[in-house]
Amino acid sequence: MSKPEYVDIVEKVFSETKEKKTEEFRVIGKRIVKYDAIPKILGKPIFTADLLNLFKDVVFVYSVRSKYAHAWIKKIDVSDALKYPGVITVLTAKDIPGVNDVGYVIPDQPLLADKKVRMIGDTVALIVADSLENARDAADLVSVEYEPLDVILDPLKIVEWGGLREKEHTLIHDERGSDVLSRYKIRRGDIKKAEQEAAVVVENEYRTPMQEHAYLETEAAIAVPEPDGSVTVYAKTQCPFDTRKAVATVLGLPFNKVRIIAPPLGGGFGGAEDVGNEIAAKAALAAIKLGRPAAVLYTREESIIGHSKRHPMIARYKHYARRDGTLLGVQAEIILNTGAYASLGPFVGWRAVVHSTGPYKVPNAHVDLAVVYTNMVYAGAFRGFGNPQVTFAVERQMDLLAEELGIDPVELRLKNILRNGDRTVHGQLLDHGVGLEEAIRKAVEAAKWYEKRRLYSQQKGLLRRGIGIAVFYHGNSIGAEGADFSTATIIIQRDGSIVFRTGLTDFGQGNIQGLINIAAEILGVPPSYFKVEWPDTASTPDAGPTVASRSTVMGGNATLVAAYKLRQRLNKLAGEILGCDPDDIVIEAPKVYCRSDPNLSMTWQELVEQSFWKGVPIQEFGYFRAPPAEWDEETGQGAPYMHYTFGAIISDVEVDIETGVVRVKEAVTAYDIGRVINRVGADHHAIGGYIQGMGYALMEDIYHAPDGRVYNTNLSTYHIPTGLDIPDKIKPIWVEAGFKRGPFGAKGLGEPSIVAIAPSIANAIAHALGGGFKVNKDVNKHPLTPDYVYSIIKKHGLIKKYKG
Amino acid sequence: MAVKTVHVHLKVNGKDVELDVPPNERLIDTLRYRLKLTSVKEGCGRGECGICIVLVNGLPRHSCLTLTAAIDGAEITTLEGLAPEGKIHAIQMAFLETRGVQCGYCTQGFIMMAKALLDKTLDPSYEEIKEWLSSTLCRCGSYHYYFAAVKLAAKYIKEGKIYFDEEEVKKKYYMRVVGR
Repeated sequence: MSKPEYVDIVEKVFSETKEKKTEEFRVIGKRIVKYDAIPKILGKPIFTADLLNLFKDVVFVYSVRSKYAHAWIKKIDVSDALKYPGVITVLTAKDIPGVNDVGYVIPDQPLLADKKVRMIGDTVALIVADSLENARDAADLVSVEYEPLDVILDPLKIVEWGGLREKEHTLIHDERGSDVLSRYKIRRGDIKKAEQEAAVVVENEYRTPMQEHAYLETEAAIAVPEPDGSVTVYAKTQCPFDTRKAVATVLGLPFNKVRIIAPPLGGGFGGAEDVGNEIAAKAALAAIKLGRPAAVLYTREESIIGHSKRHPMIARYKHYARRDGTLLGVQAEIILNTGAYASLGPFVGWRAVVHSTGPYKVPNAHVDLAVVYTNMVYAGAFRGFGNPQVTFAVERQMDLLAEELGIDPVELRLKNILRNGDRTVHGQLLDHGVGLEEAIRKAVEAAKWYEKRRLYSQQKGLLRRGIGIAVFYHGNSIGAEGADFSTATIIIQRDGSIVFRTGLTDFGQGNIQGLINIAAEILGVPPSYFKVEWPDTASTPDAGPTVASRSTVMGGNATLVAAYKLRQRLNKLAGEILGCDPDDIVIEAPKVYCRSDPNLSMTWQELVEQSFWKGVPIQEFGYFRAPPAEWDEETGQGAPYMHYTFGAIISDVEVDIETGVVRVKEAVTAYDIGRVINRVGADHHAIGGYIQGMGYALMEDIYHAPDGRVYNTNLSTYHIPTGLDIPDKIKPIWVEAGFKRGPFGAKGLGEPSIVAIAPSIANAIAHALGGGFKVNKDVNKHPLTPDYVYSIIKKHGLIKKYKG
Repeated sequence: MAVKTVHVHLKVNGKDVELDVPPNERLIDTLRYRLKLTSVKEGCGRGECGICIVLVNGLPRHSCLTLTAAIDGAEITTLEGLAPEGKIHAIQMAFLETRGVQCGYCTQGFIMMAKALLDKTLDPSYEEIKEWLSSTLCRCGSYHYYFAAVKLAAKYIKEGKIYFDEEEVKKKYYMRVVGR
């Protein structure tokens, strides 16, 4: 079967450069200052809300939220609100010209609730006023008559262990007839056989929290009505093309009448996917209705109750192994709580089940996973996307197994991990680029694992150190979730400067700089030649969503293809002008010359100018589509992702036995990302991902009151790590095992950098606590807050034990 | 609702400003929307995240917790006022060079705290830097880079390098003249 040209180009560049060391590249892997760092340190108005000053006659749109987490709506009366000074109109569901839905994957989430509310953050009406203050004040005057229903927050009220059957309960999504959103499974080998052959069985229940993205820029959208009946929306969104679809659906417009522009985002982490659609739709609805620019600006409180979170998980795991530590099988039941709406829940559930047995050879597996609705604030995409939850369980299980068998946790992992030539639990052959063993060995060496593990095991006293490891793998891009493609456009201008366009968004993660690095390396120009345009659905072709660690690989491949084709044409033209072979042309802009005779030379600008005279087009569009993934719904067999990022994390912690307070002292992260494209961005992920993962491990959870209200709706009560909470040293190590279908062999890093942080810290805490298998087993949920850690200390009498 | 306004005189980034503001107007809104100083960002509205910090009479203050009417006569410095037109302040330069900027939304809060700290001492200890900068949250996790930036900025200032030429910096980092 012949491969598409773009696959050939990517593979060709990989094979030509795979032996090259990253240090030998001109741009790839270098510590390039980010293209947008200067406007950022100068405080230029680049974020959505900053643009407000550019518009006149703006109306402000404020969301009236539900007072109940679960209730029928009997009546909405807006007459008093309409009388409030400054209020221009109040919009409810009946004002929506198109379809009242912003559900991301399935249509289960009304933009404006009219029949039922399912969570405290549901919007029932929009106040449109001349100022945000007036709009907020008037919100209290909207009178809604509710008929409250049972509030269900515990997913175990929806399904039960032993098959995850749905129980009798008040339906949250009565229109669906079930509150189980989706189910997935893995069936491999014969789990009964594993059970019979096993010398040891380790069994435990795990719980992970509902993490909030807490990006510092809260949601903002500004919609501008256009004279032709179309609408332009500037919005904080990770996925402008999905946002366009949502706005078009709500307004009943064709896609080409909705233009979404995504300015840089002040953080996203997955959270700015569906809420981006919602805020854009709210602003666009008001703009179209009133014919005036309309702005939606969320407060932190609205942000926290109004956007998706990380799915909390409850899971029961059983690991079967031989006496020598060889894994025989994994049996698990996993419940993900998606809250009030599906959001990306079905995909999160799928990614979770794919990774549910960890990066190990597992000959027998029997895993069931259900994603269920509750009346919590809804859960959706968050860096890691289902994998951090299951990896916490799997990596805690491995440490329990190691303790039970008396094997060092590193040795147990080395015995079971995936290597080149192995098959995953889905039966997928990993025929190249598996750098997990190297990552583990390098992390172990850098962290002085064996020395510290021994030392800490013998310590005395009430301030105890512990060291823990966790390993993981993470499928890149969206795999079997959907059509997996990306695009990029490179337009060389007549003066030699270059415009770069992609629909992928920049929320600080370094992805777009990575694309620039790729284009600059191939074209032979400095990164400073590029101007990056904001993603704009009117001028950039659909690049797919900016999610799933796909920018560097998918966007990178598209960029590489465009740059490669341009370079071919430029080489040919330069060869003709200078009189040497196209392959002999060296571009080191501003110099262009023949390698065999450097005296034969011209400038980049001359070459560009000549291309206009000689009829050589110097703009190019790049496209890349991942090979279709395979997945059998009944057995979980196939090839879910085209490739995986691997990693090993080692955390060194101190636990105060008298207070339960945990401090991370040092950490080492080792990731196999195929090839480092953007060194600055890669380090940022390793370090920043660790810090966010540390928050997830030790402090972060959204707490709901029994009636479904959220207790911690601001950063004063939802704590994220500050500069005083972090370890002084987080050491990133890079393994570059390559991947033939990645740009220069690169794989994704955005999500992987948080996946195994929490279990590495939990494992270190368990080590610090000591006290044997039973204590170890009780470290089975996070956040590991002081009160929870202290409860374990107290239960097992550890103060007495270590005081003596 | 129509409210009576209060007349306020401020000196913002060295310029005299006369304003008539409602008594409940927050300084952050005055700066962002009346004076178009959008470097000042809102993150929480409660003085928790520290990204709206500006200098009021030389001291760091949360502009989201400050009423404009309450600081009549004050001198205010925002990020825009750190360096004269066409210049980049040593602290900004240090933040650029240590490459800590990710999404960049919190950066101004850190820079303003760094300015307040370095106005006090040019030899801050690492612990002192951490303590001061813990006022501000960064969700991307650039803390280590920002701590290093303060050290570098102190070095620049001690060497007398207070301002850097913006065009030179741009040329060096991203706007190299093409084709020459």
